[in-house]
Amino acid sequence: MSKNLQEDICDETLFNSIFKKYAKNLHDFLYYKFGDHLDPKDKTQEAFIKLWENCGKVSPDKAKSYVFTIGNNLMLNETKHQKVVLKYQKTKPQSHTIETPEYIMESNEYMEKLQLAISNLTEAQRTAFLLNRVEGKRHKEIAALLDISTKAVEKRIYGALKKLREDLDTI
Amino acid sequence: MKREDLILKWLDNNLTTAELEAFKNLEDYNDLVKLSQAMMRFKTDDYNSDDALADLKTKLRTKQKAKVKKNWLKPLLRIAAVLAIGFGTFYYTATQDTNFETLAAQKNTITLPDASTVTLNSLSSIRFNKNNWKENREIKLTGEGYFKVAKGATFSVQTTRGIVTVLGTEFSVKERNSNFEVVCYEGSVRVNYNAQSVVLKPTESYVIIDGEHIETESVSAASPLWLANESAFKSMPLRYVLSEFERQYNVTINSKNIDIKQLYTGSFTHEDIDVALQAITLPLQLTFKKDSDIILLSSE
Repeated sequence: MSKNLQEDICDETLFNSIFKKYAKNLHDFLYYKFGDHLDPKDKTQEAFIKLWENCGKVSPDKAKSYVFTIGNNLMLNETKHQKVVLKYQKTKPQSHTIETPEYIMESNEYMEKLQLAISNLTEAQRTAFLLNRVEGKRHKEIAALLDISTKAVEKRIYGALKKLREDLDTI
Repeated sequence: MKREDLILKWLDNNLTTAELEAFKNLEDYNDLVKLSQAMMRFKTDDYNSDDALADLKTKLRTKQKAKVKKNWLKPLLRIAAVLAIGFGTFYYTATQDTNFETLAAQKNTITLPDASTVTLNSLSSIRFNKNNWKENREIKLTGEGYFKVAKGATFSVQTTRGIVTVLGTEFSVKERNSNFEVVCYEGSVRVNYNAQSVVLKPTESYVIIDGEHIETESVSAASPLWLANESAFKSMPLRYVLSEFERQYNVTINSKNIDIKQLYTGSFTHEDIDVALQAITLPLQLTFKKDSDIILLSSE
């Protein structure tokens, strides 16, 4: 069994390394779960400020779930169960050399459909699916972040994919 | 391999070469890849951990400054609040007075914290603070009481008329309407009335009736007669005698037909209302008519 060298995370270098390790993950998690209108960047900062203020009570291995819970709660305090609409980049990465006007129009239509379909996913599905597809995280990484089993992650991601494709066909 | 497993493995970026081939042969391969590519465009704005950390540090610093200022104030306020509440309750309970009272036709003997006793005649009350009794033997009296005072610090009885102070003795104090009467039975008693100060020796008494000092003879009894259920009067205006009668029997006396200023000397018992009425009416040649709680007096 591994034993923690530090009881708490009041040491500044330790705190910094924890921040670097989890801040982006927390930000992405909040962003995909709640959208950007509630300022996930700010909530991430707030969660870590809380962590620093309570550094004496939190052991290093609890730090991740601590900031995730705080961040999530901060969001929940504000969210009024609005629909989460995520932005996408208007400028598409240049993958095709020939872009006919029809193609561009079709592509824009597709993106709008996709945006709507994503906002129709459940929070759990959307978070897991976007962490996987957009951030390129492996299933077991997501499982560790969300404190759920890999099986549950797979279920959420596959459910999300199925739902997206159904919606894309019907909309 | 099942379709679902293939897709899941693809989602997890975990396909072997053979599986990848199988996956590519799925009829919706193109759709999936298209979707996957489109998804990439939902990427968040670049989140730079280093910038965010630097930003956090400055935030923490300003916050800490604000916090340090308040840090000592909060626990101090808590302690102050506890002290204030504690002191408040202590003060409240310590200064709360003890109260005893008797109703009409009722007598009661109260033992004070130092074994001194007070016997209260009807319709009287005393009030004192037992917490500070040793240093400060003070009693507020309304009505009539007989005191047996144990030796100790100055014992004082305060009435609205005057103050009676003693060191250890037996005496009675009566304060009714504008009358004030102190009788000393043992030891010595100091009476302060208005600006006057009189010291009473045993058997002496100090009587004020209607605001006027009355010279009285020495008292022969060893304790007030009312302790033996009797009220005695010497040259007392009849209305005071009647109001004492009302207190002892809890009745109402209608005396509008008689002269209540005439003086009465004598006594009546507290035990038999008819005998007591006769004791008052016979010497003054009056008649009485009893109708439950109301007694009508008239001249013969």
